[in-house]
Amino acid sequence: MAMTTDIKKGLAINFKNGTWLIIEAQFVNPGKGGAFTRAKIRNLKSNQVIEYTFKAGESVDEAEISKRRCQYLYNDGSTFNFMDNDSYEQFSLPADVIGNDKRFLIDGIECYAMHIDGAPASIELPPKMDFKVTTTTPGIKGDTATGGSKEATIETGAVVRVPLFVKEGDMIKINTDDGSYVSKAN
Amino acid sequence: MIYDKKTAIERNKLTKSLRIFFEKEKFLEVETPIMVRIPGMEPHLNVFETNLIVGNKKTKLFLNHSPELQMKKLLGANFRNIFTLTKTFRNGEIGGNFHNPEFTMLEWYRIKANYKDLMKDCENLIKTLAKTPQITYQNHKIDLKTPWEKFSCEELFQKYCKISLDQNRTFKQLKNTAKKQNLDTNFCKDWDDIFFKIFLNEIEPHLGKKKPTFVYDYPSTQAALAKKSSKNPFFAERFELYIGGVEIANAFSELTDAKEQKTRLIEEQKIRKKLKKTIFDIDGEFLASLESIQHKCAGIALGIDRLFMILMDKKNIDETLLFPLKKILN
Repeated sequence: MAMTTDIKKGLAINFKNGTWLIIEAQFVNPGKGGAFTRAKIRNLKSNQVIEYTFKAGESVDEAEISKRRCQYLYNDGSTFNFMDNDSYEQFSLPADVIGNDKRFLIDGIECYAMHIDGAPASIELPPKMDFKVTTTTPGIKGDTATGGSKEATIETGAVVRVPLFVKEGDMIKINTDDGSYVSKAN
Repeated sequence: MIYDKKTAIERNKLTKSLRIFFEKEKFLEVETPIMVRIPGMEPHLNVFETNLIVGNKKTKLFLNHSPELQMKKLLGANFRNIFTLTKTFRNGEIGGNFHNPEFTMLEWYRIKANYKDLMKDCENLIKTLAKTPQITYQNHKIDLKTPWEKFSCEELFQKYCKISLDQNRTFKQLKNTAKKQNLDTNFCKDWDDIFFKIFLNEIEPHLGKKKPTFVYDYPSTQAALAKKSSKNPFFAERFELYIGGVEIANAFSELTDAKEQKTRLIEEQKIRKKLKKTIFDIDGEFLASLESIQHKCAGIALGIDRLFMILMDKKNIDETLLFPLKKILN
């Protein structure tokens, strides 16, 4: 049994007759009561996404899943294809399972596949990843209209906000959780 | 690190119009301390602690989690309508979209008023700040035309869960009734736990989506500083304001009966002990001040970062702050 104090993104739980993956977890405190954890969970069979609020400290049943290293290969819009790093077997997952993570997938990138009952059910990206900036406008000193940040397109095609000093061709570190800029990468 | 100047400018404008609003309403702005010797007793809040060291003498101090006790001391000293815009601190409250352990709180107190009058203040203030009759928050169009929606806790539990709180006043009753309605009460240790688990899962997600919503008349157990309802003392004259599913403000008709207040503080002190939280003294000066408050009055605490987050249509409270703690910890 896992405790909900551990409830965090990436944890799989048995709940309401199914296996669910926690895709988001946030602290809530009603002020006049104890602490709760509000989680967005996805059913690993039906892909249904619901929100549920657990009492902090509540015991939940952790599902048995295994994490295996894999490599992203390509997608055809509706299916995303990967290869297991140990067995070299290829597998595919539907686009709605990949969700928002698809903006950070580039060919050959390494991530984890989460397996339930021996089959890959979803992927997990490293918390921080490095990307090359492909296009961005030059930063202008004292430009108040842009408010100290600007848009930059990274090699996956995703658009992120970066500080003004970032130039085209720079490598930058991005938080894959919320897509925010962390720092320049070396 | 990104320091978003555009947001900082927008925030500064909102703060300025807020001060103009209260000036027009003839409120006096007062400054309340960040460090205090005795913070409010709220059983579930965790505080930041520090020490004042003078020579060999150490005095334990706390970062204030709410300026409420100080504001009421001023009311007892014959201050009239007052407001404060101050930093408050709650330990452990980090993560998700709506918390930063250090946040800006707006509190205002109106004399010769009750909690219903503060609902009107909220409507007027937020309409003034928004400048438009409709706002968009995370793709929800929210109509600010007044009057806003008002539901009592009893009505909401009936509407969404077919449960009467009033007729299920004990832990056992509420647990059984919830079970009959197929509602999860797992890990709930007391009546309030069940209340919140149901409220957070079944009710809160619906609130304030089309119009801002006032939820009023909370169970008395969740309103230690509020006056009990004269119609039904099981409930207290307290409301919370929700906009776009987010809790923005918490208000009371203030309890000014010092004897009853003392009893409630002692009870809350016991709960803190049971929950193994830092125990605070009972603030004697606060109790004495209550006795000299001459008029009935009402007070409200409004989370400024959350309100600005909604008015600026930002998903995360951190986007309204130049120095959110999460970024520093990263």
